Amino acid sequence: MPSVIVCPSCDLAHRADMAPPTTRTLCARCRALLQRPENANIDTAIGLAAAALVLFLLSNAYPLVAIHSNGTTRSARLAGAALGLYRQGHAGLALLVFLTTIVGPFLQIASLLYLLIPLRRKRRAPGQSTIFRLLAQVRPWTFVEVFMLGAVVALVRLAMFARVVPGVALWSCALLMLTLAALTSITSPGQFWRWVEQSRA
Amino acid sequence: MNSTTTGRSLGLLVCLQCHATVRGLKLSHPRCPRCDAHLFQRKPHSLALTAALLLCAAVLYVPANLLPVMYTRTIFDEEKDTIMSGVLVLLHSGSWPIAVLVFIASIVVPLLKIISLSVVLFSAWRRSPRYRTQRSELYRMVEFIGRWSMLDVYAISLLVALVQIRSLATVAVGWGALAFGAVVVLTLFAARTFDERLLWEPPP
Repeated sequence: MPSVIVCPSCDLAHRADMAPPTTRTLCARCRALLQRPENANIDTAIGLAAAALVLFLLSNAYPLVAIHSNGTTRSARLAGAALGLYRQGHAGLALLVFLTTIVGPFLQIASLLYLLIPLRRKRRAPGQSTIFRLLAQVRPWTFVEVFMLGAVVALVRLAMFARVVPGVALWSCALLMLTLAALTSITSPGQFWRWVEQSRA
Repeated sequence: MNSTTTGRSLGLLVCLQCHATVRGLKLSHPRCPRCDAHLFQRKPHSLALTAALLLCAAVLYVPANLLPVMYTRTIFDEEKDTIMSGVLVLLHSGSWPIAVLVFIASIVVPLLKIISLSVVLFSAWRRSPRYRTQRSELYRMVEFIGRWSMLDVYAISLLVALVQIRSLATVAVGWGALAFGAVVVLTLFAARTFDERLLWEPPP
C-alpha cells in the first residue's frame, strides 16, 4: 500500500505520491488545504522569533498612546488595557484581554525559541512534544492583529475630543503583528516536524 | 484507493495537532507517536458540546447588543453606549470606514457565526448529503474570521485605560461588554469543538 495522507478536515485518504510536497494540494473532496510547499530555513525562523521577542518587549515597556487634553496628559501601556478592566471589577474581561494580548504572544514566541534553538544544533529540547502541543494550543489565541485594529478604533474615537499621540509601543505592536504573521506561516506543524526529522539525519 | 476511501476505513487516524497520519492502534486511548497528542477518530462529544456552546452564545448575543458596553461621564452629563450606538457615534463623526469596520466585526460577524455554525451543526447531525463542500468551506470561513469580533473589546479596554481624567471625562465598562466578550469566546470554542469530519459521514 502506498503511503497515505489523510485530510484532517474530511478524513478522505489521498495517495502521498499524488500530492508531491513541492506543490500546493487541496483535498479532492472538501477543498481544504492538504499540503503546501514549505522549505523554510530554521535560521530564518529563529531570527524572526528573536525579532518578535524584542518587539514584544518594546510593546510592553513603552506607552501605546498618550492623550493630551486641557493640559492633562495620560498614557496607557499594553498591560494597561487589561489592568483598567480589572480595576473596574471586570476580572473576566481583563483576563481575556491579558491572555490574548500578552500571555498568548509571549508563549508563542518563547516556546518556538525553546524548541528551535536546540534543534538547530541537532539536539532536542527537553519536553519537546509537550511544548509543541502547548504551542499548537496557544496559537489560535494570539490576537495581536485584532488588538491593533481595536487600538485604531479607540484612537479614532478619542481624536474627537483630545489630542492623541501614538507611542513607541503602537509602532512596535504593528511590527510585532507582521513578524508574528510571517513566523506563523513558516513554522507550520508539518514544517516543525520536518526540521526534527532533518536534525536526526 | 477510490474517491471515497477514508482514513477511518483504512484504520488510519490523523493527529489534529501535528497532522501526522497514524496507523490506528488497537489501544483504547491512542496517542500520536510524533507529538504525543491524544488521537481521536472524531472529536469526543463534538455535536453536543458545539450545540451547548452555541446555544449559550445565542442567548448572550441579546444582552451583548442591548446592554450598554460603555458609560462616558463628563462634567456635564453621562452617556451610555451600546455596540450599535458606538457605531453610530463613529458614523456621525465622519469616520465611516471605521464605523463600517466595527459594524461588521461586532454585529455582523458574531451573528453570522452563530447562524453558520447552527447550519453546519444541523447538517452534520442530519448527515445531510447535499452541499457538503460548501458547508465545509463555510465552517472554515467561520473559524478564520471568528477572532475579529474581539475588536470592540480591545477598543473599549483602551478607552477605559486612557479616559480617566476626572476634570474632563471618565469611561466605565458596562455589563454588555462582558456579555459580548462571552459571545466571542463561546463561539470560538464552539467552532473548535466541532469536528469538521462529521459533515462527511455517510448518510444513515
